[in-house]
Amino acid sequence: MLRLLKVRGHSLFPDFREGDYVLTAGFPFPSGKIRAGDVIVFRQPGYGVLIKRVREVLEQGRAFDVRGTQVNSTDSRNFGPVSRDQISGKVIWHIRQK
Amino acid sequence: MFHKFAEKIDQHFELETVDAHCDIPCGIYDPHQAQIGALTVIRMVDLIHSMVEEHGKGDTAEFINSMARYIATKEEHAEATKHEIRVIWGDFIKDAHLEEYPQLNGLVHKIMQLGSKARQTVNRETAVELLEAVNEFAAIFWQIKGKETQRVKAPYSVSEEIVVPIL
Repeated sequence: MLRLLKVRGHSLFPDFREGDYVLTAGFPFPSGKIRAGDVIVFRQPGYGVLIKRVREVLEQGRAFDVRGTQVNSTDSRNFGPVSRDQISGKVIWHIRQK
Repeated sequence: MFHKFAEKIDQHFELETVDAHCDIPCGIYDPHQAQIGALTVIRMVDLIHSMVEEHGKGDTAEFINSMARYIATKEEHAEATKHEIRVIWGDFIKDAHLEEYPQLNGLVHKIMQLGSKARQTVNRETAVELLEAVNEFAAIFWQIKGKETQRVKAPYSVSEEIVVPIL
């Protein structure tokens, strides 16, 4: 399933800026498995729907260490690895502001 | 072009947002309070000078009371201006922003110094300089947020210009 979403916040700055849009694809991902470097959208209890970049694939693709680009980004350093069932989509198109 | 198209879709269907946040995700930052603080400092400086012009030395209880209030308000708002800028600089501004706007640290330091000077003196030029530095900060802040800005005359008793986002 394809979804168009709007980015809010600066955790992935300057790769993704507040106000950018992303088109995400749900399972099954058109480009196959989630790999390190992919940007994913997932629901994290207590934090809402987040967008982060995968730093490392863990447990043969069942969990993912995710990171923002900032020292104080809220990411796996705070809430641990993200499991596959939390993931709603993978970014397949990044629509940047001018 | 694609972004404009996505914006149109967003305006019609209110797209879901995905958070790329840091620390507590309140996401509400605005330099407007700092601008209000700086404008208030200018206003208090004006009031202090007009009190002296009107009443000379002014040794009446009325004069002393009004003057004390103007000075206290000037102190409070100069400090509030510094506080607001410190919060945005400390919580919102990230390393990557500092790389993109290398003048930011120097600008914040300048605001801190001008804020202190505005407390120590009743110099209108200093107060206006404080507002201008805060305006410069506001312009960078809104640029980071992806918003265009404009300079408008403040609709208050002091009509110096402030930088505001075009929403």
